[in-house]
Amino acid sequence: MFWKKKKQNNVNHNIGDLTITDYLIDGLLIFDRDNKVVLANPRVEKFFEVRQEDILDKSILHLTRFRSFKPLVTFLGGGIKECYRQDLEIRENFILQVTSVSVMSEGEKISTLVILHDVTRERLSDKMKSEFVTLAAHQLRTPTSAVKWSLQSLMSGDIGDLNTEQKKAIETAYITNDRVISLVRDLLDLAQIEEGKYISKTELTDMEEIIQSIIEENKNISDNRRLRVEFKRSQTPLPKLMLDKEKIKIAIGNIFDNALRYTLAGGKITIACFGSKKQVQVEIKDTGLGIPFNEQERVFTKFFRAENIRRMDTEGTGLGLYIAKNIIEAHEGRIWFDSEENKGTTFYFTIPVKEKFGQFLRGDFY
Amino acid sequence: MPKKILVIEDDKFLMKIINKKLSSENYDVIEALDGKQGLDIVKNQKIDLILLDLILPEMDGFEVLANLKSDPELSRIPVIVISNLGEASQIEKALKMGADDYLIKAHFTPAEIVERIEKILKK
Repeated sequence: MFWKKKKQNNVNHNIGDLTITDYLIDGLLIFDRDNKVVLANPRVEKFFEVRQEDILDKSILHLTRFRSFKPLVTFLGGGIKECYRQDLEIRENFILQVTSVSVMSEGEKISTLVILHDVTRERLSDKMKSEFVTLAAHQLRTPTSAVKWSLQSLMSGDIGDLNTEQKKAIETAYITNDRVISLVRDLLDLAQIEEGKYISKTELTDMEEIIQSIIEENKNISDNRRLRVEFKRSQTPLPKLMLDKEKIKIAIGNIFDNALRYTLAGGKITIACFGSKKQVQVEIKDTGLGIPFNEQERVFTKFFRAENIRRMDTEGTGLGLYIAKNIIEAHEGRIWFDSEENKGTTFYFTIPVKEKFGQFLRGDFY
Repeated sequence: MPKKILVIEDDKFLMKIINKKLSSENYDVIEALDGKQGLDIVKNQKIDLILLDLILPEMDGFEVLANLKSDPELSRIPVIVISNLGEASQIEKALKMGADDYLIKAHFTPAEIVERIEKILKK
């Protein structure tokens, strides 16, 4: 392997010893089977402000002697756990995306590669973008409130009576303004998700209670649209879950709202709950329009709206399911669906039974 | 005797609308355009309920709330926060500091605000 040669000559820095790894823009650390450093490329020297010769042949735990290495060693542990593109703050304003891969031979770990990618600029610009969205959305709230309040006082006749036609025009304006308000709310949720500070307080929660309350809160809408809503509770008692209740309510609410919106009158929505000691699974099934097969891949992406529903309904921001997925994954759950056009869609999600949750931003988030 | 409601809100237009609505529901409305002014009014006359905006000149809503709640006499006056700040952390902070309710302006109409006021005054 290419680094073996390097190991033999590690002391000399002649041009002839330079290998491909010297030219990588990512930092590369290679450990042997005893978790000792066999290679640290120039990028690593730069990232951690050390010289290769000072860390070669040292075990990973030994690296904590250098302050700059502490966060990485704490993160990977003495056994060097595997991970894929996890963000790690090495010091203030310096974030590396860490990938650690074990190299196996005949079922035995013979080496570990740790690849370090500098994402400081990207994270900083993500943060600035989120902050901008938050600021812009907040700025939009004040005028939309003023519009909402004045239209409402017109509608309620507080400042004089309106004729039918005037009332109708004002109602249209009111509904349109409410759309802007809900878009602003979605944008604020989105910005919070992307800043990674979305899950705030978790408490032991009864999933079925949450679902029941969502069904009740939407009863007016389901009755108006002549939709039957059935709730199949679990046959066995479900374990309580550590949840950020408000956020899970938003997630389920978003899925349920789609079912209500895209199922024709006379249709049916069935919500079922079941689970084990380890997890709770929820299914939300509708007899609605379904998601076209060729668009199913993109369902959970930001601003996605399927062709068939865009034609029928111009409302909707395309953020609901993206937000739902992020909330569920922040609870270390999974979400997926089955759908057939003109037959219906079933969304499924699971939430594991856990004490608490790790870092929210994980893996390939953006 | 009509109940006295102090509205601390720096947006004159929103103030006008809420004042109109409350007056039509037979409340006696007293206006304060910044936090300091609001606090002075509470100290000098009997107020039954306070509608409090959070982002205010002079003294912000959180500070007003802290001042109110540190005074044994004034701390009894119910406070409804009306704000456009909608983050969970802010809502939690205001409620923890002793606000009785927290309404995001864009999500509530003046009529709904009146309902909340009635509910709290009935207690």
